[in-house]
Amino acid sequence: MRTGLVTSTALHAVLLGFGLVTLSAPRAYEVAEEQAVMVDTIPVEEWTRLQTGDKDAPAEDKPAPLPTERPDVVENAERVGENSVDTDAPPVPEAKPKPVETAALPEPQPEPEPEPDPTPDPAPTQPDEAAPAPVPATEIRPEPQPKQDVKPDPAPEAIAAESPEADAAELPDSAPAPQARPTPPEAQTAKAPDRKDADKPKAEQARKPQSESTENLLDDVAALLNKEKPSGGGAKRSNREASLGAETKRPAEKLSRSEMDALRQRLGGCWSLPAGIVDYELLKVSVRFRLDRAGNLDGPPELIKGGASSGPGRTAAESALRAVQKCAPFNLPNDKYETWSEVIVHFDPTDMF
Amino acid sequence: MESSALPELATSLSVWSLFWQAGWIVKLVMIGLLVASIWTWAIIIDKLIAYRRMRATLDRFEENFWSGQSLEELYRSLSERTTAGMGAIFVAAMAEWKKSFEKGARSPIGLQTRIDKAMDLALTREMEGLEGRLGFLATIGSSAPFIGLFGTVVGIMTSFQAIAGSKSTSLAVVAPGIAEALLATAIGLLAAIPAVVAYNKLSSDAGRLAMRMEGFADEFSAILSRQIDERIPQKA
Repeated sequence: MRTGLVTSTALHAVLLGFGLVTLSAPRAYEVAEEQAVMVDTIPVEEWTRLQTGDKDAPAEDKPAPLPTERPDVVENAERVGENSVDTDAPPVPEAKPKPVETAALPEPQPEPEPEPDPTPDPAPTQPDEAAPAPVPATEIRPEPQPKQDVKPDPAPEAIAAESPEADAAELPDSAPAPQARPTPPEAQTAKAPDRKDADKPKAEQARKPQSESTENLLDDVAALLNKEKPSGGGAKRSNREASLGAETKRPAEKLSRSEMDALRQRLGGCWSLPAGIVDYELLKVSVRFRLDRAGNLDGPPELIKGGASSGPGRTAAESALRAVQKCAPFNLPNDKYETWSEVIVHFDPTDMF
Repeated sequence: MESSALPELATSLSVWSLFWQAGWIVKLVMIGLLVASIWTWAIIIDKLIAYRRMRATLDRFEENFWSGQSLEELYRSLSERTTAGMGAIFVAAMAEWKKSFEKGARSPIGLQTRIDKAMDLALTREMEGLEGRLGFLATIGSSAPFIGLFGTVVGIMTSFQAIAGSKSTSLAVVAPGIAEALLATAIGLLAAIPAVVAYNKLSSDAGRLAMRMEGFADEFSAILSRQIDERIPQKA
């Protein structure tokens, strides 16, 4: 037994020693370096989106939004429009061209004449107080005239008028004042205190009642009087001819494939095929219907293709119309209402089930 | 790849470092399997030598036995030294024969039975020596893979725990732990395969030797029986 054990141990030792030398490590695989390729997944929806354009324009290779009148004001604007701010607000249609630019002008003009010198000082103080009150973010293009109006106004009030109530009656013309650009005040307010400290409180007193009670009303009046062009819409400019697209001034939405399929499937579920019609070509029917924002039918669905006045064709057409009415409240994305306000569905038994 | 990382990776994947990186359970399993392998080979070598020697002694004995030598002479020459195999059986049978005749055997049947018993005993003792420890080979052959597998499972378990801790799933992180764990199974198989092969070969060899010895015992028993039949009527 001893010989066996000794031999075995020796053999193992030799084998292990040999293994340590030869089997030290397998050679590492040589891996060729490969460049990673970035892959983006883009939903089909993004491809199928319509370009902003004109509904009636001919289809063109180069898409262009509606032509605007002036070059770009805002960089990287996304919404097409005449605005100088890129807002989401829908553009307000211009009711009619107004011949008069500013109705408020005639009144203030005589006033500034008596005292032209005090004007510089109170003027800057006023925008400071009034700045928060005026909402009109929409007043985007301050014309040069209103700016001139503003400055003269407060001066006569502060000095000449003792009773604020009396002022209020006169004031309407000064209401649009807040349009004034608030840029300069910083530099000028610094000077204001040392020159006319006494006048300032007065000016403030004169301002206050007005701003609290009548400001809103005055703003409304001012808005009515202001003959500036209606604002709204985006600031993206374009000089080219409008291409085919939706009428909205924002990128038109389109129902995504999945949403369209969902609608189609839903209608297929509501559609009970009339029995006994062998020729399924007869079953191919197109139906148009209008929907309101809640997804309800707006008026009865109408047949626009297929069907017949009698026989199996009529049965098929009626079954399709029934299907639309049966499915009636459709649940579609509300923000894309424009795309599904009117729907045309092609009923086709080979396609819908 | 970074050239500096490669040699380090290579050294960390050598068999020896794989062993040192392993956890203590895996290490224990590997060491146990290594010891089992050493013992297995010790038994194999021992048995191979023993069987060859046995075969040689059997050959020599048969040569002597059938050389026409008288049984008494053969017995005298064999009983002086330790015998193995057929020699031991022959000596046991002859000793019983002699003892019975010295005291004067009464019944030939009783003598025959005693001689057979003595030969059986000697044969069993011889076979015990020959077949002893073959069971260990069988045990190692069947259980070593499982023991190795156990080490592997434990190693993979711990390496997966480590991977979960490192929060990285790259193959470079996963591979060393698994390679190290698989080493246990490799050692288990390394111990088990020779054990199984050797067990099958050795047990069949032992069977053949046993057959040969049993055959001799039967033959010798027949010869002695004839002798008894011849001698007892003479004495009576």
